This record gives sequence, C-alpha cells and structure tokens, in this order.
Amino acid sequence: MDTFTSLAIVAFAALIHASFQLSVSVLTLLSGHAIGAKKSHARVLRLTTSYTTGVGVMTLLILSFTSLIFLHAFGSEIPLLVWALVCGLVLGIGIAVWLFYYRRGTEGTELWIPRSFAKFLNTRSKKTHQGAEAFSLGLTSVVAELVFIIPTVAIAALVLIDLPAEWQLVGIGIYTLISLLGLLIVWVLIGKGQSLARIQKWRVTNKRFLQFSSGSALIVLGFFVYVSKILATFTGAQ
Amino acid sequence: MSEGGPITHVVKNSHYRHPEPFDREKLHKSIIAACLSSGTPTGHAESISRRVVDEVLVWLESRPEVTSNDLRRVAAQYLRPYHPDASYLYEHHHTTL
Repeated sequence: MDTFTSLAIVAFAALIHASFQLSVSVLTLLSGHAIGAKKSHARVLRLTTSYTTGVGVMTLLILSFTSLIFLHAFGSEIPLLVWALVCGLVLGIGIAVWLFYYRRGTEGTELWIPRSFAKFLNTRSKKTHQGAEAFSLGLTSVVAELVFIIPTVAIAALVLIDLPAEWQLVGIGIYTLISLLGLLIVWVLIGKGQSLARIQKWRVTNKRFLQFSSGSALIVLGFFVYVSKILATFTGAQ
Repeated sequence: MSEGGPITHVVKNSHYRHPEPFDREKLHKSIIAACLSSGTPTGHAESISRRVVDEVLVWLESRPEVTSNDLRRVAAQYLRPYHPDASYLYEHHHTTL
C-alpha cells in the first residue's frame, strides 16, 4: 500500500471511531451534572475541555501501545494471517454493531456495555468537580469503549507500522484528531451554550442511522483492507 | 409525604436499597438541575421547580408507596407544560448511557 492509501485507511478508521457514542454520552452527562450543580460557564468549559483532552490522550496511548505490541510480536513484516484475522475482527464487530450497539427496548441512547460500566461512568460524571477528575474520566471512558474501538485501532496500528517512521507519527496524529471529531462538535455546542436537551434529542432521533453507518463503515473497511492487502498479495498485484 | 401527612416511601430501582421516605428537597433540586441544563435562568428554574413539586405532592397524597421510576415519570409529566426540554432531559436522563 502506498502512503496516501495507508493514511486514508487510518483516517477512515478514525472516522468510524468518532461515530461511536460512549464518550459523547459521558460528556453530555458530565456537562449536565456540572450545569445542574450551578457551576459557572467557565468551570463547565474547563471540565469538558479536560475530559476531551483525557479522551484524546487515551486514544493516542492505546493506538501507540497496540502498534508497539504488533511491532514487537511480528516485526515490520506483518504475516498475512494476522491481516486476515484483524479483517475478520473488523467484519465481525461491524455486524455486532448493526445488531447490538444500542440496548433494545429503551428510548434513550443506552449502549450495549456492561451495566456496571455505565453505572460507574454515570456516578463518576456526577462526582467530577475538578479538571484532573474530568481528565481521568476521559481516560476511563475510552477504556469502557474498547469493545467497539478495538477493530479500528487494530487496523490503524497494522497500517501504521507498515509506514515509514516519519509518517507513523503523522498517522497517529491524524487518527487521534479525527477520532475526537464527534466529541469536539458536542464540546463546541456546549461551549456555545446549546441546550443539552436539544443535543440529546438529536442523538436519540439519529441513533439508528449512526448505528447503521458505523456498522456498515466497519464492514466496508474490513472488506477494503482484505482486498487491498490480502487478495492483492495473493494475486501479485502488490 | 414529608410534611404533616402520612409518609410516602420511594422504592428504588436497585434491589439492594431499601425504600426511603420521599424527600421533597431532593426532587426540588433534581428538577432545578434539569431546567438549568436546558438553559433556563436560575430564578425561573426555581419557580418552575416549586410549582412542579407542589403538583407532585398532591399526586403523592393518596399513595403510601411509589417507585422512583413512577416519581420520575410523573414529575416529568408535570414539568412538560412549563418546560418541554427540561422535562425530556428529566425523564430520559437515566437512559443517556
């Protein structure tokens, strides 16, 4: 794969990551609790900024760590079997997102994650008063979302270690920035004083579309990487 | 109810927690929080909350025991005419995550 295609795959994986909703849900809860507790607008903004920074840092660390593991385990020449396994994982999670992403039978945006995780994040968002706590809540929310972001991170890591060293850093930066897009949009809306009810109503109205597009995009990504890496190698096109 | 009349107990969602007496102040604060999150000024939020709590107290008069879900649903229903957005947030807060 050439550098441009590799970076495009990384950007597409990051865009899929950005469409996942757990971090956005926690940000909505965090700002709701902060506004409800009569905190000043500057303080709410400080908390949401710290939270968003925490999410960005954890995303960057997870992607770098996954790349390091792949590099140590397989070197810079990744076996085709590993590519095939990761493509299978991406396709499988894509279908799972279609089927299970939101909990069935609820009107809101309840996600298919263990209820203990959801309860913990909900309680922590209520008890968060300091920037440092918001930052660590951001770190934790990425870990809680791992079950959905594993495939995008794994694909991006595999593609990144195929790149020349200087482009690897660019790739990690691109992934982190793009994966934060959804969160940044909500952060800006909250900063501008947009009503949380309107944000939440939009999310509820469009949740099935987001679920369908995330699942479909994962399947497209898995299929594209399978064709451009595995089939192209077998047929001698690469 | 908490003032003078019979005490209404609130049965919590969690099976591990015992029913607790209805707390007017807790309801008042939670409604204010929902109004503030919907962009309502503090004074207006407090006045809306007082009116909604009064209406909920009337509803509670004939009920010795209610669930926290019932309380949430009824409070949201009384809040809706005053502030539909706050009512939406209040009712769906627990299904955000």
